[in-house]
Amino acid sequence: MRVIEPWVAEPLQRFLTESSARLALLMTASGQVVAQHGFTRALDVMSASALGAAIVASTEELARQMGAGPFRALSHQGQTQGLFLSAFAVPRARWIVLVVYDSDSSLGLVQLFFDQLVRELQAAAPDGEAPREVLAADFETELNASLRSLFGR
Amino acid sequence: MTTGLGAALEPITRVRGVRGAMIVSATDGILVAEAVMEGVDAQAVAALAAGLAARLRRATDAAGRGAPVFIHLEAEAGAILAVPGERDLLVVAVTQADVNVGLVRLELRRAADRLA
Amino acid sequence: MHSEVAVSSEDIRVLTSQLAADPSSLVFLPLGEALRRRGQLDAAQKVAIAGLTRYPDLADAHDLLARVLGDRGDLERAFDEWDIALRLDPGHAGSHKGIGFLYFVAGDLQQALDHLEAARAANPEEDGLDAAIARVRESIAAGGQAAGSAPGPGALPADAAREDEQASRMPEPAAGGRSVPSLFEGLEGADDGLLLLDAKGLRLAGGLKDPGGTQVGDAVAAHLAGVFKDASRAVRLLGLGAWRSVAAESADANFYLAAPTTETLLLLSRDPGVPIGRLARLADRAAETARAWLEGPA
Repeated sequence: MRVIEPWVAEPLQRFLTESSARLALLMTASGQVVAQHGFTRALDVMSASALGAAIVASTEELARQMGAGPFRALSHQGQTQGLFLSAFAVPRARWIVLVVYDSDSSLGLVQLFFDQLVRELQAAAPDGEAPREVLAADFETELNASLRSLFGR
Repeated sequence: MTTGLGAALEPITRVRGVRGAMIVSATDGILVAEAVMEGVDAQAVAALAAGLAARLRRATDAAGRGAPVFIHLEAEAGAILAVPGERDLLVVAVTQADVNVGLVRLELRRAADRLA
Repeated sequence: MHSEVAVSSEDIRVLTSQLAADPSSLVFLPLGEALRRRGQLDAAQKVAIAGLTRYPDLADAHDLLARVLGDRGDLERAFDEWDIALRLDPGHAGSHKGIGFLYFVAGDLQQALDHLEAARAANPEEDGLDAAIARVRESIAAGGQAAGSAPGPGALPADAAREDEQASRMPEPAAGGRSVPSLFEGLEGADDGLLLLDAKGLRLAGGLKDPGGTQVGDAVAAHLAGVFKDASRAVRLLGLGAWRSVAAESADANFYLAAPTTETLLLLSRDPGVPIGRLARLADRAAETARAWLEGPA
């Protein structure tokens, strides 16, 4: 798991342990990554965050045009894996979580522990300035630096 | 809550010691119908019971046996009982520790049969 | 531990350059193996996982990851990866060898032999397999007295000290090579239908057969670890106190799970004619036996 904001680490780790999610991505509403778990390539992280933010934005626009209230969450179920996407508020910001789970978990479990994750993030978020936004390129640089160091360079 | 499904839960909740009964989507762990007392987190029970049932099914598959038709998780301060029904639904009860398990099982099976 | 052909840092550099030049190439396989042989397990694991992301259906990639996990002592995940590799390629020699080794460590000599022979059938020229097979056969013939000793060099990659420690906790196979759960000897169903496992899903004692007579104890143990975890989580989150048992009835068997200690799980399985209440009583006795063994002298 990699996090940009240290206070995110514990709640996210608890969520991952309890829900048995395979992949998790925490991002700002504009698609900038705050934390991720399970992704092995920076490119995948950047793509997923951009797509996730776009899906949430378009779903919210759809809801607005329908005159419905904001959708709480979005989920897709595939043959072997499921996807869960939801936006939520933290102090002075709006974040999105994207979760991929398989048969080790379920939509119900992900939703259950997502609610807990949101409560914990809202409680742990520091007061004052908005959470630091990060360029996705920072993640790629960090991941590349890690790979280089692991090869003994 | 659908009236028909909710009505299937009523006989379960009448058993002394039952704190709540619900119908759950077995695959998703999502609540379909519920009748629970205050203090029972139906969403949590649904997700956790469905997860446990799925795990047990994989274990019985590995043993070359059929899927469970009754599940009973007993703990110090209560229990969760579940019976699978048709249409990938699970009928679940959460109870106090001293409940008559046989009666609850009977009502769960009847409720599961009514789901068909 | 790493007794294979020496790998130089120059080899690593060359392979790394090749991978960097073409990240989609299969050179991650020899690179990962080279890193593993040099003991750079973190790097080897990263390379293996990165390769699997691109080639999730490549048995060799799962085999590579399994070897790294095996070197790290994560035998449960190593088993899973070799199991996946064999599903992808049932004749994969490396995976048969790896899983054969794990069965050997666990004391299931027959399964170990079956897998090693499958490995030899797939790769008759491989050095060391004949010696490994002969060793397992000797162990079976000797009534399993040598069970748990480290396989000879060139057989399989493993940590000898870890094998000995794990194997020393196994009940010894009976004479003639039949694996008998001597821990539960004398208890009803000792041969089949009593299974003791640890929280990681590894069988500690006992056995379970499917209706066809095939031993399925190890596979069931692996799945039951998830049940253990789910039951513990459910009672914790719902405030139900410590869990005592999980009972399950199916059309053709009744199952009863109890936890003799906080880190072990006991499964009883009987025909549906044996009521759950009776299973509970039998489980109490078996759990006492298991506790005495687990908490007894090392």
